Amino acid sequence: MRNLFFDTARWTLALAIVVVASRNPAVAQAIAADSLSQVIESNQPKMVKIYGAGGVRGLESYQSGFLISESGHVLTAWSYVLDTDYITAVLDDGRKFEAKLVGADPRLEVAVLKIEATELPFFDLATSVPAEGGSRVLAFSNLFGVATGDEPASVQHGIIAVKTRLDARRGTFETPYHGSVYVLDAMTNNPGAAGGALTNQHGELLAMLGKELRNAQNNIWLNYALPIDELRGSVDSILAGKFRPGEDKPAIKPDEAVDLASLGVVLVPDILERTPPFVDEVRANSPGQQAGIKPDDLIVFVGENLVHSCKGFREELARIERDLPLRLVLMRGQELIEAVIKPIASPSPEPNAGESKPAASIPDEKIEPESK
Amino acid sequence: MSNTCRTTCVICVLVLGHLLLGTPRLSAIENLPAREERAMKAAIARVAPAVVRIETVGGLERVGQVLIGTGPTTGLVVSPEGHIVSSAFNFVQKPDSILVTLEGGSRHAAKLVATDRSRMLVLLKIETETKLAVPEFVPQAEMRVGQWALAVGRTFEANQPNVSVGIVSALNRIWGKAVQTDAKISPNNYGGPLVDISGRVLGVLVPMSPEGNAEVAGVEWYDSGIGFAIPLETILRVLPKLEQGHDLHGGLLGINMKGADVYGDAAEIAAARATGPAYKAGLRAGDKIVEVAGHPVARQAELKHQLGPLYAGDKVKVVALRGTERIEHEIELVDKVEPYEFSFLGILPMRSAKGDNNAGLIVRYVYPESPAATAGIKPGDRIAKFAGQEITQADQVVQKLQTLSPDEKVQIEVRRGEEALTLEAQLGRLPEDLPGELPAAHGALARDEAPPAEGPQVGVVPLKMPEFQNECVAYVPESYDPRIAYGVVVWLHAPGGYKQEELIERWKPLCDRYDFILLAPKSSDRTKWQPTEARFVRRVLDQVTKSYTTDPARIVVHGHEGGGALAYLVGLSNADVVRAVAAVDAPLPRLIQPPETDPVHRLAIYSTLATKSELAMFVEAGIKRFRDLKYPVTVKDVGEQARYLTGDELTELVRWFDALDRF
Repeated sequence: MRNLFFDTARWTLALAIVVVASRNPAVAQAIAADSLSQVIESNQPKMVKIYGAGGVRGLESYQSGFLISESGHVLTAWSYVLDTDYITAVLDDGRKFEAKLVGADPRLEVAVLKIEATELPFFDLATSVPAEGGSRVLAFSNLFGVATGDEPASVQHGIIAVKTRLDARRGTFETPYHGSVYVLDAMTNNPGAAGGALTNQHGELLAMLGKELRNAQNNIWLNYALPIDELRGSVDSILAGKFRPGEDKPAIKPDEAVDLASLGVVLVPDILERTPPFVDEVRANSPGQQAGIKPDDLIVFVGENLVHSCKGFREELARIERDLPLRLVLMRGQELIEAVIKPIASPSPEPNAGESKPAASIPDEKIEPESK
Repeated sequence: MSNTCRTTCVICVLVLGHLLLGTPRLSAIENLPAREERAMKAAIARVAPAVVRIETVGGLERVGQVLIGTGPTTGLVVSPEGHIVSSAFNFVQKPDSILVTLEGGSRHAAKLVATDRSRMLVLLKIETETKLAVPEFVPQAEMRVGQWALAVGRTFEANQPNVSVGIVSALNRIWGKAVQTDAKISPNNYGGPLVDISGRVLGVLVPMSPEGNAEVAGVEWYDSGIGFAIPLETILRVLPKLEQGHDLHGGLLGINMKGADVYGDAAEIAAARATGPAYKAGLRAGDKIVEVAGHPVARQAELKHQLGPLYAGDKVKVVALRGTERIEHEIELVDKVEPYEFSFLGILPMRSAKGDNNAGLIVRYVYPESPAATAGIKPGDRIAKFAGQEITQADQVVQKLQTLSPDEKVQIEVRRGEEALTLEAQLGRLPEDLPGELPAAHGALARDEAPPAEGPQVGVVPLKMPEFQNECVAYVPESYDPRIAYGVVVWLHAPGGYKQEELIERWKPLCDRYDFILLAPKSSDRTKWQPTEARFVRRVLDQVTKSYTTDPARIVVHGHEGGGALAYLVGLSNADVVRAVAAVDAPLPRLIQPPETDPVHRLAIYSTLATKSELAMFVEAGIKRFRDLKYPVTVKDVGEQARYLTGDELTELVRWFDALDRF
């Protein structure tokens, strides 16, 4: 009874302080800021400043990285900075090490370095967490090389604008990376920031900051980070010594792609850079006619992909196997109509024609980054 | 022990009191950021069903040399029947087809119903069976600077919105039309909503600029911490008109202001166009506007603030002073007035040495067949009185002309030797031909003192601006004399840059002879100019006009190919300083909307035309746009194939520059 009473008393006292504090906005803010600064303080020692090649023609010779093992493994972005025999890693406490490149995966643009040190604080990749759009995040990096020696890395605050895939729209982002990314609403991806760490507001590791990247469709710079889930397999391979750089899967093209002739569809003359793909003519008894395509229809989607032009339509078709059904969305007046074209028999009959092929050999966006 | 007990009880009571008063609960205080994050996610989820993805097919692929993007953009549902508001920026390429994807993934073809040219919005309509969710709006009276503001788009993913968080930075921006935010605003969310922490819509995101009103004005501020949204409350007020297919335009009075400083000068009318509503209501040049819609107006900026939010068709009460007489009118604003046309007397003035105000206005040259020639004015005459005003310097005639329209008759008193003549001239329009040989603009100045040793650098002068990467050189005549006002030619090279020695060799004799300073910036990327480099050009130009004695009437931007396109951009966006644009083999970029002609900021255009060049069609279209707006346009035929000017043609062009102080 007495104990319970005491507990209640203590609890009440604590509550009273907090309540009084909350009546005072400055104090409430201090509490919030305090937890954030604790989170930042505990993560700063895991950050690494990396110096290497560059320094000419506007190319910076530095980037960011973070420790992923107690024994000195550093995760960073694969870039020209690492393309030298002398990579220097500077820890948060100012200690300077020569770093060895353990391995790199150019497709994901990640690399692992190793320094000779022990008992280091580190981010455990195995305990990284996912996040969703609208989540508050902290980005740790040495952007613009502001921090030197024992100065801590810079911290930026923002939110995840959205989680998306860089290849969701073909030709939008010129990068070898095709996995998902967190798009950020803070100006994180600046020179030197690649390889930095993204955490949530509790300090849990979410992702690694990517390189500078511009959207080719609207010319807007993109701020993004690569979720650890996407990188983990590759990092494990590198650490296990299994990874052989340059072992890129060749892009798989369809054995026999669909084309306009096989559909029996003739488009309007392609005279502009972006002539809208209007149907000029549909041949009698062709697969196109059977699917209900009519002259003057505008082709707007091939599968899930919007086509902007005659050229774009031809390119989309070239990615599609003949012996799979083809789904088109047409615009007729103000109406959207779906047309499904049945598998098309090959012009030169083969014994195997008509048999469906494994799904993995269809369009190139199906190629997932190899995980092991 | 009992003390502790009592204390505890007191605390209990206190705490209970606090709790009853509605203090935040313990969990909330523990982590304010986490609580805010939850609120933000809830706000996004609340507005998300009204945020749609827009994709377009076809339309212009190039605007000028720029390939227009085709990425998805965003829209906001504003009626259950399928009306959607978006940013006009998203439709600048005039697409053939518009597709809207709703949150659930259903796709609809959309029609563009109407455009609000004042706020750069469009209204789309889709056909839908189901009633759409319409978001709640925040009344403008409730908006506060500093409150949370979340910008929502639907461009990366069809099934989830993309978000940026900031605060409301300011209200009533862009002459009272927009809310400003520091959330990251870009093509990734133009057309989407800016919402408060509870998911109610503050406004619709648009690129905007206080100076420009083209669809793309303000895009250069993307992701910069300066973004704008049009309050949804004001959009809903005009929605019925837009739904009926009526385009909306900003309301105009049809007047021009005297003086160039909108924040300093009073709202005195320099010209009231005869077809405009202000003139029809009875306002005249010389009247000073002192009150609009019940708000006092001391400076031009206040007039702009009052008129900015108004549409054509709106009525507004205007109070003006004519002398000491107070005149009051209710004026219905219009969407379009006949452009202002410069009137022309037909002379070039002699340029007097700086500080010499007693020389009077001496005629240097009389344009053949001009009003002045017909009236009988001769070179060497001194103009003593013009339209009733005593004249001691050229500026007085220029300002008087601003208030007179072409074809008006004026009385002019001239002194010719001992003789005093009173002449009458019927004014005309600015000439468009290239002048022949001109007499010198000033006599030789006596070198009665040695030039100051501390004078600014002459000859080839390198210029560098700390925050820009661009290089730049200026050529200042070796004979530079601070008593003479020099014109400035900004030369914007074609892709590939220039060789300094060749450039100086070409321009030195022209600059020396016609009193010009050459300014030759280089693009930071040798192969092309970026529109953003217009800022660098302005900065070096300001540097030169600060360091040297320059003539504000003869500041020109001259460019070749891509440099010509930038010359148009620099000239039209710096109307306060640039008096002429001379473009060789470069059309006016489609995305640049030339502003209305302005009596105070006179701008003349020179363009070459190569009849068989692949750009000929676009060059002609640009010339037509300027002519429709009543700009004086001089067209130089360079034959069939595009090329730069020959030596003689360049001399002729510089003579045209030399004659820009004509009136």
